Amino acid sequence: MVDVSQHELVPEHSVVSDSELDDVLDEYDIERTDLPKIKRTDAAVPDDAEVGDVLEIVRDSRTTDRAVVYRLVIQ
Amino acid sequence: MSTGQTPKQIGSLSFGLMDPEEYREMSATKVITADTYDDDGFPIDMGLMDPRLGVIDPGLECKTCGKHSGSCNGHFGHIELAAPVIHVGFQKLIRRLLRGTCRECSRLLLTEEEADEFRDRLDKTRSLGEDLGDVTKAAIRRARKASNCPHCGETQYDIQHEKPTTYYEVQDVLSAEYSERIAAAMEGRPVGDEEEGEVDREPMGPMELAEETGIDSSRIQEILSSEFRPTEEDRESLEQALDVDLTEEDMNKLMASDIRDWFEDIPDRDIETLGIDADKSRPEWIILTVLPVPPVTARPSITLDNGQRSEDDLTHKLVDIIRINQRFMENREAGAPQLIIEDLWELLQYHVTTFMDNEISGTPPARHRSGRPLKTLSQRLKGKEGRFRGSLSGKRVNFSARTVISPDPTLSLNEVGVPDRVASEMTQTMNVNARNLQDARRYVANGPETHPGANYVRRPDGRRLKVTEKNCEELAEKVDPGWEVSRHLIDGDVVIFNRQPSLHRMSIMAHEVVVMPYKTFRLNTVVCPPYNADFDGDEMNMHALQNEEARAEARVLMRVQEQILSPRFGENIIGAIQDHISGMYLLTHDNPQFNETQALDLLRATSVEGLPEPDGTDDDGIDYWTGRSVFSELLPDDLNMEFEGTLGEPVVIEDGQLVEGTIAEDEVGEFGGEIVDTVTKVYGNTRSRVFINEVATLAMRSIMHFGISVGIDDESVDSEAEDRIQEAIDSAYERVQELIETYETGELESLPGRTTDETLEMKVMQTLGRARDSAGDIADERLDEDNPAVVMARSGARASMLNLTQMSACVGQQAVRGERINRGYEDRTLSHYKKNDLSADAHGFVESSYRQGLNPQEFFFHAMGGREGLVDTAVRTSKSGYLQRRLINALSELESQYDGTVRDTSDTVVQFEFGEDGTSTTQVAHDEENPIEVEDIAARVMNAEFADEAERESFLKGDTLQTNLSEHQDTWRTGGAVPEVESDD
Ligand SMILES: [Mg+2]
Ligand SMILES: [Zn+2]
Ligand SMILES: [Zn+2]
Repeated sequence: MVDVSQHELVPEHSVVSDSELDDVLDEYDIERTDLPKIKRTDAAVPDDAEVGDVLEIVRDSRTTDRAVVYRLVIQ
Repeated sequence: MSTGQTPKQIGSLSFGLMDPEEYREMSATKVITADTYDDDGFPIDMGLMDPRLGVIDPGLECKTCGKHSGSCNGHFGHIELAAPVIHVGFQKLIRRLLRGTCRECSRLLLTEEEADEFRDRLDKTRSLGEDLGDVTKAAIRRARKASNCPHCGETQYDIQHEKPTTYYEVQDVLSAEYSERIAAAMEGRPVGDEEEGEVDREPMGPMELAEETGIDSSRIQEILSSEFRPTEEDRESLEQALDVDLTEEDMNKLMASDIRDWFEDIPDRDIETLGIDADKSRPEWIILTVLPVPPVTARPSITLDNGQRSEDDLTHKLVDIIRINQRFMENREAGAPQLIIEDLWELLQYHVTTFMDNEISGTPPARHRSGRPLKTLSQRLKGKEGRFRGSLSGKRVNFSARTVISPDPTLSLNEVGVPDRVASEMTQTMNVNARNLQDARRYVANGPETHPGANYVRRPDGRRLKVTEKNCEELAEKVDPGWEVSRHLIDGDVVIFNRQPSLHRMSIMAHEVVVMPYKTFRLNTVVCPPYNADFDGDEMNMHALQNEEARAEARVLMRVQEQILSPRFGENIIGAIQDHISGMYLLTHDNPQFNETQALDLLRATSVEGLPEPDGTDDDGIDYWTGRSVFSELLPDDLNMEFEGTLGEPVVIEDGQLVEGTIAEDEVGEFGGEIVDTVTKVYGNTRSRVFINEVATLAMRSIMHFGISVGIDDESVDSEAEDRIQEAIDSAYERVQELIETYETGELESLPGRTTDETLEMKVMQTLGRARDSAGDIADERLDEDNPAVVMARSGARASMLNLTQMSACVGQQAVRGERINRGYEDRTLSHYKKNDLSADAHGFVESSYRQGLNPQEFFFHAMGGREGLVDTAVRTSKSGYLQRRLINALSELESQYDGTVRDTSDTVVQFEFGEDGTSTTQVAHDEENPIEVEDIAARVMNAEFADEAERESFLKGDTLQTNLSEHQDTWRTGGAVPEVESDD
């Protein structure tokens, strides 16, 4: 089976720890459920992520080098 | 606000059902008579036009609130319905509730555990802001599966819904012909509608049957003679023994009152499991017992010319409802038979249904006497002309104008030519003060008909006076500081200009007015691409701005020059087009020479004031200037560029001098012309506007100098070339013939993944395509470099070399759905060909050129291909229009916030940074060779910002001294709680 997370076009997805998450939610003054979502069944989601976890996705960007995005795992 | 009330903020909105008691409470009056006005023309009390429902006639006073028409919004009344009726808007909810709850105890047909599960799922979906409908639908689906109530054990029956408002309970009951069926089955005959021989059944005697079923044999005799109806148990055992179905479906109609009783017993908790807030909406409220009567202001009657009153459609509908309601009550009191009562009930239901929605499938629409369907509540709201799309999202506006557009190359791209009659209709408000007093008086003195005039003035006391030809002189004397003058549009005013469909930001731009004679709006041709406008009858809209804030915003943000760079791809969308490009090409391609007069003539409409040093002298000793140096006069003095141009040759600009290369589409064109793009990004929008304007005017002068015209002879080639073209086509025909022969002998080798049929088609297409290309190449050789059509194609102004070769050599294969033409008759395209003819000309290869003309078959095939193109564009535009509407509706509320995130109205984060990089496409330029170096940029900004290292350090540390703090700062910080002060006693 192909592991898509190893594909060069798939950015790095990692589970955010609770303390880190608090900082993120604080920074944007939002609830966890206000974050964009990602399905648990998405092939890019790491195996240890569970529904309710928040993922940090780090993309390469030509304009800003690194673009960081957070997503809540659902279903 | 004109109401003089303080604005209030809306905390929240909740949607739900309304308690019938609430209808009665808010009602200004009960309505009991269907009549509207008496013989004297006065509204009848407790009629549909009762004065307590509001006033529409000016001068009358509202009996409820005492206000006059205009300030009284009207008041609801109510009708007490003689019997409950169903609200059509809730047909689906009623069906779901009936299917999901118990017919006996009205509880939700779910066990406690199941209900808990669904309540959990509801909470979760609610917090994720997703659609609750999915969960409640799943809950109903689960509840419907229960055949018995988990709470009281009652058997549940299927509910059938006959649209729009009839519900049946489907029960299996003993068939009326049970005795015949049993008798038939005992004799082994087919029963009911069974076919002979379909079921094979052994005949069975009464004794045998009694034994098998355990029913007394005398009872069986009684059953057979229809003297005794078998009990449920007996029926089942008889059915089993005889392998027969003794039941028939019975549709038991549920009356609205039954449904209401049923719903009344549903417990609040079960309602909440279905996602309904029981405090706000009890399900029995869906079944109407009281009907609110909209205020007369919502259904005003109009007086026709002949003095007759004409009532609103809603009023007509209400009259029907009241009439039937009364008849119903009278009949019931008189003790009319059930059948008549039921008929009247259904009629009442029909009228209430069509009062709310008159376009329900399965129900004939209620009609006016003339046969026109009535426009009732739902029809007022729905659709393009409805309240939402027609009156709230889109409105007709004042200070707007619409007319045909036409081109004017003498205008700047920032300008729009406005017809004088438009300019004198649309006004701008001048606040008169000492400085503009003279102007204001002059405008007023000119009156409303002479152009820079004025239409209205407003005195300091607020009175508004119309300026007329008669009073203007007199009025002008009186104008003083403090007055307001509504003057005509004059040159330089900012207006908004728009062409539909407004598909992108550049469809609405601000222009500066230039007042002109005649009747069309005039615009510079370089703004055609952003508006997607042409002059074949296109019309555009103009809006005059009405306050300083709007004018300032329009000028700073919306002016055409601010839109030169497109946010779509970050390059210029405004630039030279069509003849501008041909003109620049002619001017710079062979670098022609001009004498002084000619050079000055080329530059006469630009801001260039004198010629540079001549480039040399010709044989007669006369000074000359080259095309490139004339063009260079338009460039910024320190511009340096080097890139590969339109012709694939280098274009070199050194210190604002075009040293080498031809100026054409890729240099100054509309979509990403290098020079325009660079000038805009490096020198700013204003410099770019000047540049584009001047390129356009220089190009027009240049194309007029050289002249460009195309005739049919420009596309002809000599007979030798024609022969060669014919040869190329003939040899292609031969090759096609060979291919067909190999195919027919079965020797054609198929390409990987293709059938032989497909392979043949592909190879034939390939061969013919190549034939067209080589014919084109031959023609191409014969077309001179200075052939005007070639100039246009090469420079990128219009058309392509392919178009030219189609004109002069060979049109080529026509295609429908990407294949050779295969449709038409059985096994052939036209009756002119033999069946199964695979040759080129039988399948749409057009050998002729457009100049030669097409033969009839070719013409027909060509029309087939052409039509496909037309249909495609028609379908595409309608599809993409709808897609656009949906996209815009979905995205319109997204907003980038001060913290850099992009959020929707419920504060859900959509992007953590705008575009995930927080940059604007028009402010950033990069490509493979010039990537963005974030570090370098930061360093450059820092260096420019701070004089020395120390200043920079102190900024980065962030300890800036705050100088704008209030002395009360500390009390605010603690949220108003004053820190404890030690008492001094
Ligand atoms: Mg047009
Ligand atoms: Zn009133
Ligand atoms: Zn029950």
